Amino acid sequence: MANGLTLIHQYLPTTPVVVADVWVRAGATIEPEEWSGMAHFLEHMIFKGSKRIGPGVFDRTIENLGGSTNAATSHDYAHFFLTTAADYLKDTLPYLGEILLQAEIPEHEFYCERDVVLEELRYSLDDPDWIAFQALTETMYQNHPYKRPILGDEGLLLQHTPNQMRCFHRTHYQPQNITVCIVGGIAEDKAFTLLEKSFRNFSTPSECPPHFIDAEPPLIDVRRSELYVPRIEEARLSMGWLGPGVDQLQDAFGLDLISVILASGRNSRLVRELREEKQLVLDISSSFSLQKDSSLFTISAWLETGFLESVEEIIQEKIRQLQNYPVTPGELARYKKMLCHDYIFSTETPGQLAGLYGYYHTIANAELAVIYPEMIKCLDAWDLQRIANQYLAPERYAISIIRPC
Amino acid sequence: MSTLTNSNHHSAVNRLVLSNGITLIVVENPTADLVAGRMFLKNAGTRWENRHQAGISHLLSSVITKGTKNLSSIEIAEKIESIGASLGADASSDYFGFSVKTIAADFSQILHLMAEILRFPTFPEIEVELEKRLTIQGIRSQQEQPFNVGFNQLRELMYQDHPYALSILGTEETVSQLTSEDLHRYHQNYFRPDNFVISLSGCLTFKQAVDLVQDAFGDWQIPPSSLPPLEFPPISVQPGQKVTIQETQQAIVMLGYLAPGVAKMADYSALKLLNTYLGNGLSSRLFVELREKRGLAYDVSGFYPTRLDEAQFVVYMGTAPENTAIAIEGLRNEVDRLANQRLNGLEIKAAKNKLLGQYALGKQTNAEIAQIYGWYETLGLGIEFDTLFCEQINLIEAEQLQNVAISYLTKPYLSLVGPEDIIKQQFAI
Repeated sequence: MANGLTLIHQYLPTTPVVVADVWVRAGATIEPEEWSGMAHFLEHMIFKGSKRIGPGVFDRTIENLGGSTNAATSHDYAHFFLTTAADYLKDTLPYLGEILLQAEIPEHEFYCERDVVLEELRYSLDDPDWIAFQALTETMYQNHPYKRPILGDEGLLLQHTPNQMRCFHRTHYQPQNITVCIVGGIAEDKAFTLLEKSFRNFSTPSECPPHFIDAEPPLIDVRRSELYVPRIEEARLSMGWLGPGVDQLQDAFGLDLISVILASGRNSRLVRELREEKQLVLDISSSFSLQKDSSLFTISAWLETGFLESVEEIIQEKIRQLQNYPVTPGELARYKKMLCHDYIFSTETPGQLAGLYGYYHTIANAELAVIYPEMIKCLDAWDLQRIANQYLAPERYAISIIRPC
Repeated sequence: MSTLTNSNHHSAVNRLVLSNGITLIVVENPTADLVAGRMFLKNAGTRWENRHQAGISHLLSSVITKGTKNLSSIEIAEKIESIGASLGADASSDYFGFSVKTIAADFSQILHLMAEILRFPTFPEIEVELEKRLTIQGIRSQQEQPFNVGFNQLRELMYQDHPYALSILGTEETVSQLTSEDLHRYHQNYFRPDNFVISLSGCLTFKQAVDLVQDAFGDWQIPPSSLPPLEFPPISVQPGQKVTIQETQQAIVMLGYLAPGVAKMADYSALKLLNTYLGNGLSSRLFVELREKRGLAYDVSGFYPTRLDEAQFVVYMGTAPENTAIAIEGLRNEVDRLANQRLNGLEIKAAKNKLLGQYALGKQTNAEIAQIYGWYETLGLGIEFDTLFCEQINLIEAEQLQNVAISYLTKPYLSLVGPEDIIKQQFAI
């Protein structure tokens, strides 16, 4: 659009629903270090409205019309979405535009909502899986802000001020950083006009203190963290490797495929050996999460403390096997099909589609979202072997272990 | 055969009972690339479990896909994976279910595999022992989440000897006693065509679906035996409280009220609307009063699930332990208010729009569509319930809402989880 904002639109004539999903390149990675937690806290404060739209008015408007809204923040983005009957987009999108662009961040609301964020932090601290994941990323990333907890920590949260938040907002909530995805039962010209009207009045840009994003050097050995946590029944073992950024997408998708070969379904290598045959784990999973700068490949297991060492060794052995031998043609065909079908299964609704496009456009380019199945189909056994050698090493990884105390 | 209109997609909801008693429901959705299926065994699940076999439905759900007359566990998994499909079994309070999803071309294959799994499972000893061990670990792991601890104790307090009192997983004692033989008996009792509902949504026609189901399940005969009777003691209403001390970061506060099941349609609908008013979304009463205005909680909400027998109407929040007493008072005041004063017209209209809007948005994927019609059929409500429920909601008035609040929402059961010193200080136990 003329002001630098990006619109991604898809018309689905058979659905009566429309989703608008607004993605802002204003996640935790661009926080100045001492402002940690600001991006997420701001996401909460957006709902407190603008000068003209009071706290909670947007929520009430959209929900009273039968729609729903919510938001989420990660390292690379914050996003805000609404789902509504197609006819009501014109009654709701202008509100969302105004509270995003003209966030007021009132003093009183700021301090009250800070208590809510602190409750969110306590809520997360009662979840042992959250603790395990947090420990893994903190161990894995030494320089890159991906090491930071998105929620921030209590000490820093108590020091943030409304003025700092306004500064963060006016620096980053600007048209060149925003992608709006509108998907569903609305034609393109209507979506365009409505968006132009709703996302017009940006705040005067401000300038935050600088933020630094240092490149993450490769892992050179095993980085280990061990925690004892009260009240837990099972130990957790989480191992992580650094993947490529979005600039090497083929490799990234290769790691996605490797993660399902290792631990998706009863016949995958780790599930079969560790859960079904040797019965050393309660459960085991692997996931690849694509991030802008350096992605994250993880393997996580829930198990009894006594099996921690042998499970870690078996995982190393499975990684070594991927480096030394090509995967079998049968495995390759099965898991490629699984990922391609999962893609079909997870792009049914306007909300799923809008989320997919917005995510890819925020970290790279929306077109990449639709070529995923083609790129998966192109991968062969030699690619996977090369990728395993390049990114996964049985002697270089980060590991976090959580034990019951 | 009957046909209804699915309000979301303006497509027909087709229903047919086959000659062997199988009920088939089909929503044609030609724009999808896939077919999603939900299959239900009626009159199975927690509600039909004997107390000494609590958890048997869940155990059966984890073992039933691990061996049949003709296929091993590995072979079954390979068949599913080789066509990139998904297939799972699950037990619930009021039914036993299966979920499948495939791209349209592969649906016939998965249906034949389903037939094999449903009709000829072998429940191999070794798999039963493995899943028993994992289930028992799972039961212990429930203690790790304060919300689960709070909910489990509330459920036991409210349901006493009724099967709903226990988690779907059962207890360590009951699960450790279960055998392959028990699973075979359960299978014989409940897995029969006249107890079976297949609900499909996706890229296939009603005619194709009928042929495919006939082909896969047509020779399945109704056994001569009748279904085992349903036996459990009535629930006596005795509001009380239960506290678990745990060194958590947040205290969990839950208020529970024993409320009617879905058969009492008018009261059920009114309570659904009150639940929406209190706990659904960012503009709900609890969210606005206790989170937005007072900053007491991150997670504050309520739920009132649809059940055949009495259901729980619950409001809850997680809060800093020192706020425990304020949290109980805050939740209590909001529920009491519903009985003490009538909601105004605007509040009621907003809650209706919200409930009906969310309800419609809950029928977007093919899996969601297959679930909702199959589930209504399974509960004995019929696929018409989809429209009846919405009509019923539209008719509700202020007086009726106040009346159900007076009838059901005045004496709560209380469940509390939190650190010792603070709970003791805040709350006399």
